[in-house]
Amino acid sequence: MKQKILITFLFLALTTFAQTDSQWVLSQSTLTYHVSHPLHQTDGVSHAARGKGVCHAGQCDFLIAVPVKSFDSGDSNRDLHMLQVTRGGEFPMVMVRTSLPEDASASTTIHADLEVQFAGQAVEYKQVPFEQAKQGNETKISGTIPATLSDFKIDPPSLLTIAVKNEIPVRVEMTWRREK
Amino acid sequence: MKATKLILAAGILMLLLSEPLRAQVAAKLAGTVTNQSGAVVPNARVSVKNLVTGQSAETQADSAGLYNLPNLMPGDYEVSVSAEGFPTKVTKVTLTQGATQTVNLTLGGVLSLEDLGFSQTQTQGSAQDQARLDKRSHMLKVHQRIGLIATAPIVASVITGVFAGGKSTSSTDRWTHLALGSAAGDLYFLSAYYAIRAPRIPGTQTRGPIRLHKALAWIHGPGMILTPILGAIAFNQKSNGEKVHGIAKAHGPVAIVTASAYGAAILAVSLKW
Repeated sequence: MKQKILITFLFLALTTFAQTDSQWVLSQSTLTYHVSHPLHQTDGVSHAARGKGVCHAGQCDFLIAVPVKSFDSGDSNRDLHMLQVTRGGEFPMVMVRTSLPEDASASTTIHADLEVQFAGQAVEYKQVPFEQAKQGNETKISGTIPATLSDFKIDPPSLLTIAVKNEIPVRVEMTWRREK
Repeated sequence: MKATKLILAAGILMLLLSEPLRAQVAAKLAGTVTNQSGAVVPNARVSVKNLVTGQSAETQADSAGLYNLPNLMPGDYEVSVSAEGFPTKVTKVTLTQGATQTVNLTLGGVLSLEDLGFSQTQTQGSAQDQARLDKRSHMLKVHQRIGLIATAPIVASVITGVFAGGKSTSSTDRWTHLALGSAAGDLYFLSAYYAIRAPRIPGTQTRGPIRLHKALAWIHGPGMILTPILGAIAFNQKSNGEKVHGIAKAHGPVAIVTASAYGAAILAVSLKW
């Protein structure tokens, strides 16, 4: 009898512990960078990002990564030029790490401290606002990372010898699915 | 006088008692900052923020990764730790009256690229790949610059062609046209060399306006070979006092088609539609 109680207690305890950890999986994403040039306004889009978030003790650690060469601006020549100036041959991935309290998923706006690793540099963007909307088991996140070329020590690419603007804001639209 | 002495004594007594009293009430947060493999992270910045009052305090861990935040009021705190090369870690802690709470902080990402399902070939770059991209970009930049410079003698040779091919032409007109045409041809082929010899990047498909730019090369490329040949025949006929005849009559139209295709190729990569 005592053994049964003990086994039941152990089972319940293990279940409770297991429930404290959960994870988020990025199910869909659209990342768009915007480049301004006197002759062009260009958007490069990627749907190839993958991401995961692991929650433990009320805190969730997220990692989102996307291959640099997956960004498509509609012109392969420009994309290869962007790949070159962003040193995508040597550093082929863009990685974004952030840590959020687990209860952040309850609010409509979250402010995330992002660490972006790109072009061989790690840059922190503090308190970047993201809108979030829940749809069933999924959460849609959208916002803009105020990135600049100089943040990552990237020489501005040029077309017809005219350089693009320093600002390259990255629009983020992601759908996350929570998994236990 | 007596009352003043009493107040003074009470004040001194309060001052003497307040610090031990505060020490008794205040909580303390301490611990070690390490990375995921357990090695200490020196000089990390540790900050705490009281979630009720919003009051914050900050300290820097020592060379052994030890940090110490004394004199904190009991309550719920958000603890934030950051160090160079690590993402900022935030955690929560509840401090109780008079107690020392030990919170060891681990820096470093929990997740890796492998956890996201990326293969090593996707995530690992190489200096050779970058060198190929650099060489390609450099050669295409040279192609672009020489190509733009070539526009001037191409346009000028088309204009001078009107005078060189007319009924009453002088040898100066013909020689000027020939010189400009030669300069245009030389610059054109130099520019073309850099485009053709620029390294190809494996796994990339040609998309967008560059397709039109490349397609137009199939018109202006042969045109730039044919135009001077026809021009040389026409030049000889004119120099011999003959009227331009036969195949040489195509020199002008071929040159105009070539120059137009060349201009369109430049516009194809300069304008957006």
